[in-house]
Amino acid sequence: MTERDQMPGSHDCGGDAAAYVLGALEGQELEAFRTHLERCAVCRDEVDAFGGVVNVLPIAAPQQRASRGLRRRVMREVRKEPRRAARPGRAGWSLSALGGRAWAAGGAALSVVAAAVVVGLTLGGGGGATVFPARVEGIAGTAQLRLTNGHAELVVHHLTPPGRRRVYEVWLQRGSAAPVPASVLFGVNATGDADVGLPTNLHGVSAVLITSEPLGGTKVPTHKPVIVARLD
Amino acid sequence: MFTLSRSLNRLADEDLMELVREGESSAFEIIFDRHGDTAYSLAYRMCGSRVRAEDVVQDAFLSLWRSGARYDRTRGSVRSWILSVVHNRAIDTFRREATRGSLQVGDEGLAERLSSGELIDAEVERRDDAGRVRGALRDLPVDQREVIELSYFGGFTHVEIAEMLSLPPGTVKGRMRLGLSKLRIALGTEGSLP
Repeated sequence: MTERDQMPGSHDCGGDAAAYVLGALEGQELEAFRTHLERCAVCRDEVDAFGGVVNVLPIAAPQQRASRGLRRRVMREVRKEPRRAARPGRAGWSLSALGGRAWAAGGAALSVVAAAVVVGLTLGGGGGATVFPARVEGIAGTAQLRLTNGHAELVVHHLTPPGRRRVYEVWLQRGSAAPVPASVLFGVNATGDADVGLPTNLHGVSAVLITSEPLGGTKVPTHKPVIVARLD
Repeated sequence: MFTLSRSLNRLADEDLMELVREGESSAFEIIFDRHGDTAYSLAYRMCGSRVRAEDVVQDAFLSLWRSGARYDRTRGSVRSWILSVVHNRAIDTFRREATRGSLQVGDEGLAERLSSGELIDAEVERRDDAGRVRGALRDLPVDQREVIELSYFGGFTHVEIAEMLSLPPGTVKGRMRLGLSKLRIALGTEGSLP
């Protein structure tokens, strides 16, 4: 990246859109382009148009048959891990941010807020719920971690969406050990709300962390947490 | 179970995803049966190794199941959505690998990744579409096709591609843009997978 490229306001409009939809931008350049997208309709249009092309590229791969062994392994794991169904009538937690054409959603620009928001703490709340404080950093929104009858859930309101082709990922931290993935990814609905079920076994967990990650999640956090809920 | 599977088989992907959201593993199984081959094909094309491709696909499908994803039909087809997760998983895998930086264009591993040969094409009804996309890619000037394939299927960043091809990064971006523009015209695509 040249010095000129890094300067705010001097972005070559459209120049990075193709690289972006191909997943060929990374690091500061990727962040800079995302920020640029928020205010540049030209680049958003370009991203939408190229996103359509990139969507059909997978079928250019020579078609092969997945092995029966792979199918067996996937379904064995699936049956071993019955999932708690989403509860109707709640604010709704959604993985809409995982949409294959997230880049084509158009106009869903992030509104990054620098100020940190600290959520109020209510311990031993009604209905047997224990509510832990959650600190939201670098984005807008509020969050709480609730433990109710052995069920843990993260409830967020008015949270900034994770961004195009990104998703929020949940991590569990035990003491000073590196955070491990909770295998929970989530997005937020149109009003920034989500109600996310967490693994019930939080034994020894000192903090629940949320980071913004690429679609599909990652195995190690690649960004600073945007939500931190301490349990200790 | 047989009757349930038969009736689920009649449902569209979008309706099956509603059941998946409710934790219905039989619906998830049908989703896997419908899209597992294409997902594996993409992963194999990207990874060039059966073992790694299977790991990527397994990881991707399990993340979809574990996350309890609620599919949003306004954002495109279920197939596009699944393939984008597989694609991102494969790229994450590449970028985590410590040996990744040692790959060069002429390396056997990369060559294998970019030219995997088994053409089974089990899903006959998709052959025309696949052929059209392959044809459009093939018709691109070599320098444009090369950067698109290296980035999308190879998972390389434009900086890595620039180093491999001894080109300025801006030239790589320019070729990507020209190539995608031509593909867009050739395919007349609105971005939906069949």
